[in-house]
Amino acid sequence: MEESPLHPFELHNIVPISLGGLDISINKAVLIMWVVVALVAALMVMAGSARRLVPGKLQSLAEMLVDFIRGIILDTMGEGGMKFFPLIATLFLFILFCNLIGLIPGSYTVTSQIIVTAVFATVVYGLSLVMGFVLHGAKFLGILVPPGTPGWLLPLMVPIELISQLARPISLAVRLFANMTAGHVILGVLFGLAISGGLLIGWLPFAFTIAMNGLEVGIAFIQAYIFTVLTCVYLGDAFHLHGHDEHAH
Amino acid sequence: MGTELLAALIVGGGLGWAVDTYLLGSTPWGLVFGLVFGAVAGVRSAYRAAQRWQDSSGNSRR
Repeated sequence: MEESPLHPFELHNIVPISLGGLDISINKAVLIMWVVVALVAALMVMAGSARRLVPGKLQSLAEMLVDFIRGIILDTMGEGGMKFFPLIATLFLFILFCNLIGLIPGSYTVTSQIIVTAVFATVVYGLSLVMGFVLHGAKFLGILVPPGTPGWLLPLMVPIELISQLARPISLAVRLFANMTAGHVILGVLFGLAISGGLLIGWLPFAFTIAMNGLEVGIAFIQAYIFTVLTCVYLGDAFHLHGHDEHAH
Repeated sequence: MGTELLAALIVGGGLGWAVDTYLLGSTPWGLVFGLVFGAVAGVRSAYRAAQRWQDSSGNSRR
């Protein structure tokens, strides 16, 4: 049977719901998202319920995660960025678990849908804009002028900076989506080869799928990390407005 | 990092095209300059991303 490697990304409604013309049906992606939310919540609540001085296994895992996210925020935004800890920790854990759960055969990779990553990116970028204008007022438009720009270069620099600002949410969304989709397409193609190759040669692509799966676990972590770091950087840019140059060495 | 290049090019081209079609009717100059600005912006943000990775980790990471 011929099957497209993009077949696993198709979504079919499980429970069709329509609300005032809006299609809010429940499909596999929605189910997996609920599972991810439940998993993250259960992990954190169970890990946090013991609160022993000498942490158990679960508690040290949670402490490691929290400390890791705290490190990212302190590195990119400084002490003031800790206000955003709940948002950034939620984003990181949600994306990480979505990426990881997608690697379980038969499951679904929610982050391989560009609408999901686009919503994350829009929320993050929208927040950075709103925060920038609230904190700095009209001076926030100065983000379009890099420090040390001579006046005669302004007509060139402002459009360039404007474009690179507007490209931020797009590259944020596309990066996560493309990485997850590409990885799963490769896995799908290799599995297809393994099946159509039969026993004689099929073991070779099958061995590659095992290696790729290991690589995909790494990518799941790296992409969640990159998304989180860039979120911090964008929020930090709006927070400090050129102030980050001091410790950028 | 490649996504930075692509995203900036899309935004630049898109803005240029929108200016052409809806604002000035100056086809094709908006698209041409938009793409050029987009390419410059893309290289610039890719350069900045590379700088960021080097800053944040001492040794370069991806």
